[in-house]
Amino acid sequence: MRTLSIKNLKLTKLDGTPLLGPLSFDIAPGEVMTLMGVSGVGKSTVLNWLIGAPQPMFTAAGEAWLCDTRIDLLPTEQKRIGILFQDDLLFPHFSVGDNLAYALPSETRGRKARQSAIEKVLTSAGLSSFYDRDPATLSGGQRARVSLLRALIAEPQALLMDEPFSKLDSTLRQQFRSFVYERITELKIPTLLVTHDAEDIPEGGNVLELHQVGGVVESVGNTASNLPSASSTWKQSNAG
Amino acid sequence: MLSPALNAETWTALFQDVQFNSAVLSTLSSAVFSTLLALIFASLITMWIYPGRAWTLTQRQLPIFLAFPHIAFAIGIAFLIAPSGWLARGLANLLEWSSPPQWISIRDPYAISLTLTMAIKETWFLLWIMATLLGEQVISRQITLANSLGYSRRQVWISALLPQLLPRMGWPLVAVLAYSLSVVDMAVILGPSTPPTLAVLSWQWLTDPNDMAQAKGSAAALCLMLLLGLLILSGRGVWWAIKKSYRYPSGIRKQGKPFKSRALLGIPVFIPGWLSLAILLLWSVAGGWFFPRLFPAALSLKSFNNADFEPMFTALWLGVATAMIALPLTLAWLEWGSRKHHGWLYAPLILPSLPIAAAQYHVLLTLNLDSTAVGVIWSHLTWTFPYMLLVLVGPYYSFDARYLCTAQALGHGRFQACLSVKWPMLIRPILAATAVGFAVSVAQYLPTLFSGGGRFATVTTEAVALSAGGNRRVLAVQSLLQTALPLCAFMLAIVLTAWYARNRQGLK
Repeated sequence: MRTLSIKNLKLTKLDGTPLLGPLSFDIAPGEVMTLMGVSGVGKSTVLNWLIGAPQPMFTAAGEAWLCDTRIDLLPTEQKRIGILFQDDLLFPHFSVGDNLAYALPSETRGRKARQSAIEKVLTSAGLSSFYDRDPATLSGGQRARVSLLRALIAEPQALLMDEPFSKLDSTLRQQFRSFVYERITELKIPTLLVTHDAEDIPEGGNVLELHQVGGVVESVGNTASNLPSASSTWKQSNAG
Repeated sequence: MLSPALNAETWTALFQDVQFNSAVLSTLSSAVFSTLLALIFASLITMWIYPGRAWTLTQRQLPIFLAFPHIAFAIGIAFLIAPSGWLARGLANLLEWSSPPQWISIRDPYAISLTLTMAIKETWFLLWIMATLLGEQVISRQITLANSLGYSRRQVWISALLPQLLPRMGWPLVAVLAYSLSVVDMAVILGPSTPPTLAVLSWQWLTDPNDMAQAKGSAAALCLMLLLGLLILSGRGVWWAIKKSYRYPSGIRKQGKPFKSRALLGIPVFIPGWLSLAILLLWSVAGGWFFPRLFPAALSLKSFNNADFEPMFTALWLGVATAMIALPLTLAWLEWGSRKHHGWLYAPLILPSLPIAAAQYHVLLTLNLDSTAVGVIWSHLTWTFPYMLLVLVGPYYSFDARYLCTAQALGHGRFQACLSVKWPMLIRPILAATAVGFAVSVAQYLPTLFSGGGRFATVTTEAVALSAGGNRRVLAVQSLLQTALPLCAFMLAIVLTAWYARNRQGLK
């Protein structure tokens, strides 16, 4: 299993003013690192940089490593990192099953084998007989679950989550949270969670809080848990 | 108008007409291929350059070419590809020809130049539609998400984006198809002449004093409607077949080339447009310019000094009057009209314009209003009003209703509140819609001819009429004036908005 490492990440606005960093941290396999901070501090930008989404407003310097592979220079499709957004983003022209089939690696060959693999995953999430359903007819909680299943069935080596719980109501949120964390622990992949709700922090998880100091964002490490993580290192930035 | 077309004899005469078959053929081929090509061009260009600097560059140039009238563009293209045009001159210099080649590049019997020119013009329109669809945040996130599942850019477009975007482009595509089926002005300039396309043929018959010819014209106009219906049905059929043949996602990820955004890629889309503008400008100021010289021997403003500005002023006041009548209508409909049932108002945009214009003429005849300014403005409104509605409907419906509520709570009536709060806050889209309305009115060819009874010569009708003659300088000047009117209207809208918002950050 692999560790996700961020080394000396620095974000700069296009006009040259520094926004964030330098920031370095490691996420161990199976660990959920929570990135917190007020809006505008650059949380989502870190995520966008990691996944390789275009962001015309910023330039980034730094390295991202997945074990021995440097991934920040790879195109998104070769990084093998899964992502979960606030919206479920299920493709509306696919059925629920096709959404998952789109993500399932081609090593599972043949229509039948693929279908049964997907049925199995759906059943494990309490969604049996949902294969042919139109995603638009699902409830919010069901869509969220399918969306996570889709990200995980692609066998990613790491997972990024951009406020994945914020659009669910509070009961659903708790259910979906435990659903997500169970699966991440099971698969033992490093996960980075961006949120501004402290309730989202998993039990025993590490937290990285971004603060604005003199115009530059720096990180303040703290762990919400009684289990301090040895794999996380905090690096303070120099605002001057 | 329908009565002569209900007669069996008319249809027999129409089907037995020697020109009918080939006219239908060239109409079908030019309409279908130009629509398909425009769709393919727009999709490929977007696939290649979205997102990135090239896309931004394209978006910046797009408004100019959306405002570039079809007719002026067609005339510019004719100047480029005609036997003595820029293309031939360039080749002549390379290959040392001394006289123009014998090629038939415009008004070719297979309507190829017409098809390609319409395809390019409609590509810009479809690119604009694409841009509004792609502007939604959901779409750009879907690209990232599908990328993160391991799919290359090309695969993402084919499997995830086009299947979603294409159905949503249905109505714009119908509008493009209807336009290219029934276009008369561009077909007169670039299309085949013996026989012409069905729309041109129908128009020639409708303006013929002979009763039988007029009946045939009506029947041919009806044919255009039927053809549109058939094409829409077959288009839906093809789409259904494509969806049917859709394969189950096999999960195979194909390696694609890494995406590099090159700003220069945003330029080729507009090369025909820029060249067309350039050659119009050059001819309008050309002194002596003999084959095969690439540039005029001398430049002079003679063509402008001798130009007839009357058509420009006619187009100007007709356009201003139409837009000024359409604006209160549009605002009133959006504020007090039904929000649910307004789809039918867009009908003129997705129907062939020739049958509508011809029908309007008959109505005006019975009302004894043909060849009057009132008649012409009324017929222009048929297209101006729905276009203005289309531009304004989005911003209008997304306007925060609480502003109006606040004003009313302060004791102002609804109309007062609109006048003093809502409409001033919507100044930007309202002025933009007005400029679009003006541009649409200026560009009207058939309605001006039919309802005006030929008495209202505008830059548009003049440009088409002059395109048959040989004086390129006069034609270039009229085409430029036709382009200048909408461009000035759009610039005026921008300047007025900026002036109005000069001390108000919140309006910018």
